[in-house]
Amino acid sequence: MFINRILYSIFVLWGLSVFIFVISRIVPGDPARMTLGARASEEVLQRFRIAMHYDKSIVVQYYHWFKDVLHGDFGISLITKHPVLEDISRVLPASLELTIFAFIFIIIIGITIGVISARYHNTWVDNLGRFAAYFGIVTPSFVFAIMGMLIFCYILEVLPAMGRLSPELIYPPKITGLITIDALIQGNFIVFFDAFKHLILPSISLGLLGMASDARITRASVYNNLGKDYIIAAQSYGIPDRVIMFRDLLKPSLIPVVSLLALQFGSILSQAFLVELIFNWPGFARYGMTAIIQKDLNAISGVVLILGIFRIGGNIIVDFLVGLLDPRIQLIKERSE
Amino acid sequence: MLNGKTKILLITLCVVGILISILSMGIASSPSIVRYNADWPIIIDPSVGADCQSVTANVNLFDPLVSADTNGNIIPHVAESWDVASDGLTYTFHLRSGIKFHDGSELTAEDVKFSMDRMITIGEGISYLWSEAVQEIEVIDKYTVVFHMKTTFGPFLVTLPSFFIVNKELIMANISPGIYDDMGDYGRGYAIDRDVGSGPYMLKDFTGEYLLLEKNPNYFMDISTAPDEFKMIGSSEPILLKTLMSRRELEMTFRWCASETLKSLAEIKGVEIAQWLLGSAEYITMNTRKPPLDDIHVRKALAWAFDYEEAVKIVPGSVQARGPVPLGVPGSDANSFQYHLDLEKAKLELKQSKYYGHFDEYPIDISWNSNKSMEKHAMLLMANATEIGLNVNVVETTWALFCSDSASIETTPGLHVLSANSYYPEAASLLQARYHSSTTGTWLQAEWLLDPVLDEMIEDAIATTDKDERFAKYSAVTRYIIDLCPTIFTIETPERRAYQSAYMDWPVARGEVIPIYKYDNSMRYIKVYPEKREELLKK
Repeated sequence: MFINRILYSIFVLWGLSVFIFVISRIVPGDPARMTLGARASEEVLQRFRIAMHYDKSIVVQYYHWFKDVLHGDFGISLITKHPVLEDISRVLPASLELTIFAFIFIIIIGITIGVISARYHNTWVDNLGRFAAYFGIVTPSFVFAIMGMLIFCYILEVLPAMGRLSPELIYPPKITGLITIDALIQGNFIVFFDAFKHLILPSISLGLLGMASDARITRASVYNNLGKDYIIAAQSYGIPDRVIMFRDLLKPSLIPVVSLLALQFGSILSQAFLVELIFNWPGFARYGMTAIIQKDLNAISGVVLILGIFRIGGNIIVDFLVGLLDPRIQLIKERSE
Repeated sequence: MLNGKTKILLITLCVVGILISILSMGIASSPSIVRYNADWPIIIDPSVGADCQSVTANVNLFDPLVSADTNGNIIPHVAESWDVASDGLTYTFHLRSGIKFHDGSELTAEDVKFSMDRMITIGEGISYLWSEAVQEIEVIDKYTVVFHMKTTFGPFLVTLPSFFIVNKELIMANISPGIYDDMGDYGRGYAIDRDVGSGPYMLKDFTGEYLLLEKNPNYFMDISTAPDEFKMIGSSEPILLKTLMSRRELEMTFRWCASETLKSLAEIKGVEIAQWLLGSAEYITMNTRKPPLDDIHVRKALAWAFDYEEAVKIVPGSVQARGPVPLGVPGSDANSFQYHLDLEKAKLELKQSKYYGHFDEYPIDISWNSNKSMEKHAMLLMANATEIGLNVNVVETTWALFCSDSASIETTPGLHVLSANSYYPEAASLLQARYHSSTTGTWLQAEWLLDPVLDEMIEDAIATTDKDERFAKYSAVTRYIIDLCPTIFTIETPERRAYQSAYMDWPVARGEVIPIYKYDNSMRYIKVYPEKREELLKK
């Protein structure tokens, strides 16, 4: 089953690669001219076209392109002039760190609000939780980012306004590329706390929608399970509510939330553009959006394929996690096979 | 034993305490620094990067062969003197001894030759300035280098402040396989984000979010009063700029800030707007090969129909343009013909057009990109064109799309609002780039003039070594272009930048502008006063 999913995913990725390649080659404009600039001589242009196989048929071009991609070579970015993979390996950790923290906030705040709302349903606590969730759903992340910056950076001046680290500090030697993790591994707590401060506003802004929707789904799911026989039985045995909540109720209630979380991870990664722009976060979404605006074809190909890998990987992990949370699903699949 | 509620209360208090301590952690800032917001990416290889942000970095990281003063006079820099042969075909430069690259090696004539050879071979950025003119570079000795020219090139010396010298030894040690035959990749992969310069600032840190330079302690000129560090931050978000400016974490803004943003920045105490005109202009290009704009009467009608006074009001600090070359640029013509809004004259021109009575069949698109003032200028023309019976549609485009559309006559828009600037302080910079046939098919010339007479006039003017004679020829070229009316010369656009006047001395803000591209961002002329900044922060 798991092998089938992997093979299917590889096929989907190959299809995606064909799609991106065709799109990138049919858009108007001479890629050599776009790379080398308006005043590049014809000799230089021709040398570039030959080196990049632009003088060959589209099938031959795809062959060379795909071969290079398999070796991790997406070509040179037309904008940054760096190899695309090098660019992505620089910007991806920044976005992953942002996404992970947004994710942590989603899990902690979203699920907590959802559980509390369900526990105290139809009370003022529930109403407050629902109001917070609706507020999160209707407020675009960039609005929250701007408001957050105005309040915490401009007026109160308690949080940094931009970037991943204060200028007076130096990035810790790269291990994972995630500053907080690298700083912790190396025991550099000053850098850790500074990087964390930089993460607070962008990650909460980014995770706002996720927090709100997870709070709603958690509330509905927990509330639904509260009426199940096994919960009523546990309550009748006099087991404390707290124990029932954490031991019996939370695990089955989180199945729909886990499915949603995995989808959210991929979308947060790809939708972080405005938040990254506002906080000058040198991330993957900003890189990808700039590539699209500037028609940087090699970079677009790299970004889309990497996003595809994340999305498909996310779905596989969801299936795995849901199977762990609810063994019945795994059993049903095995029987059907 | 604590009960559940007490535990929760204690945990909550702990979390709040940790958050407060994190928020209150402060880190002392560097005392003498200029922070500047820039477009991104920055490319610090002078053979590749030619945009505003890359050149801003490069004027600080590298040394040019010669420099310029505020009057545009060429002054010694790496070359302490030079001789020009009487036939204008040989330039001999005598270099200073003892100039060191940032890795400690000495800058010699070999580096000058290597830098120009590399620039021309790579063929990107501003290499076109020299690729047609320079035949060969000869190293006479360690401190003497000779440029042999293919043809006379009058403005050669004024182009050289934009020619930066790279470290040959360091680049050659880091060559990778590439498309330049024996030279592999010519060190592009290495030099694109590594320090190969000798300039007043050295590379300290280059991340995806900023470029940080520090003052070169061994620089051959006195830069003791210059800021210790220069940081370019890749952001342009108005709310972020306002926050950083008010927190004194940004000293200068880039040139692309919207008027509204600058206005709000100027409200911050101690922040002022510096403004100057320096060879930048906005044009409305007309595709002279596309009906009905292939008819000069239609083009002239549009030129008469444009409301120049209103256009000037849209961009604070701007003035109406007079011809293809802004008046601040040496060699411009202050007496050339200038259009003004006159709808009657516009209608008379249309009556003479071969398309008269059939304009409905020829709708004209006017495209714009970049900023809102360009859109407003496009709308302005559309409104007045409607009054004289021309059907003009405003279309938003992207820079990338405009560049690719400019590749052929058919795809080049009928009208486009374009901003351009001179790359070196002489009229030839714009005349050649904007109107010589060699630039058709690129964004530089959406007019598609393809006029052999004009080409010859431009080439002749550029080849003239006598300055007065050359400038007279520039005037003739200017008038010839105005007669053809391929462009609506709308406004000369000012450079407008917010800066921390309370603790910064920036000569440019006092009007002392060196007329070379992005020399206004040369940090060695700037002074910052950290104690005044501290005072502001305390207040």
